[in-house]
Amino acid sequence: MNFELTGPLSDQLVSSLVVIVFLGIVIIITGIRVGKLKPTDTPKGLLLVFVLFFEAVLNLIKPHFSGKKLKVFGPYLTAVLLYLVFANTVSLFGLKTPASNAGIAACCSIMTYIMLRFANIRFKGIKQKLRDFLGRIWYMFPIMIPINLIGEFSTPLTMGLRLFGNMISGLVISTMVYAVLNWVAGIFAGVFLHVVFDIFFGLIQAFVFFMLSVVNISMATEK
Amino acid sequence: MLHNVFAAITRFATEYNQFFTDGLKYVGAGIAVLTGIGPGIGQGFAAGKAAEAIGRQPEAQGKIITTTLVTAALAETTGLYGLLVALLLIFG
Repeated sequence: MNFELTGPLSDQLVSSLVVIVFLGIVIIITGIRVGKLKPTDTPKGLLLVFVLFFEAVLNLIKPHFSGKKLKVFGPYLTAVLLYLVFANTVSLFGLKTPASNAGIAACCSIMTYIMLRFANIRFKGIKQKLRDFLGRIWYMFPIMIPINLIGEFSTPLTMGLRLFGNMISGLVISTMVYAVLNWVAGIFAGVFLHVVFDIFFGLIQAFVFFMLSVVNISMATEK
Repeated sequence: MLHNVFAAITRFATEYNQFFTDGLKYVGAGIAVLTGIGPGIGQGFAAGKAAEAIGRQPEAQGKIITTTLVTAALAETTGLYGLLVALLLIFG
């Protein structure tokens, strides 16, 4: 494992790559099996899980996007949710949580930021976007332009920092508790620590990141 | 009077060493984590209002819980900034 672009490969990046490879294999297998499935068949096993998952996601994002927008932004949002759900719970298998590296958390928010700007250009138009910077009352523009510019850049910053902060707090607290306890007590404490910080907070943060992306992108597409 | 002030300043300057700065780092980290008060109030408020809303309209439970989770996580952000500052002070 030695491909150094800049600096050594961090633990979090390794676990992120593990998650990506795992998800890639599972999704390719599911895709092949979906392709073979006839419309009259009932899905079973892994396929059933995926069908139920995608239906639930579709029901969540349908009220926010209409018609063509759903086809453009749906796949990205589903992919982010799927990746974060697995990435935040991967520390149950002994790997470090990928989002506890600030770079990986920032990558997620930067991707959402790129999608936001794409939504602005594609569905809103640059002219309307520039007009929005002035605010409702045009002579207030010396105050409104700085506020709107800060708002533009605070969205990706807060989204990345929220993910990173939640994951690193779980990592720090569980590391501190494990450092104090011996291994017998550590097993009993680990049950509660991992349930709270990995499963509960991890899934909630994945869902929150997904929901905020949905809301922000749907707001960016509105005229 | 003035003599005492000068004496205090010189004593501070002599005691201002590595241990002093290290100790103050931990004090600063402790103060930074006090931001946890804000999210506590905010999340408690959101959860209370959600409970009220579910009591008034039990059929909209799913939507209310989704909105509450998202807004609670939003309110958490300021506390996380405090935590990050504390971590930077200790480890950075």
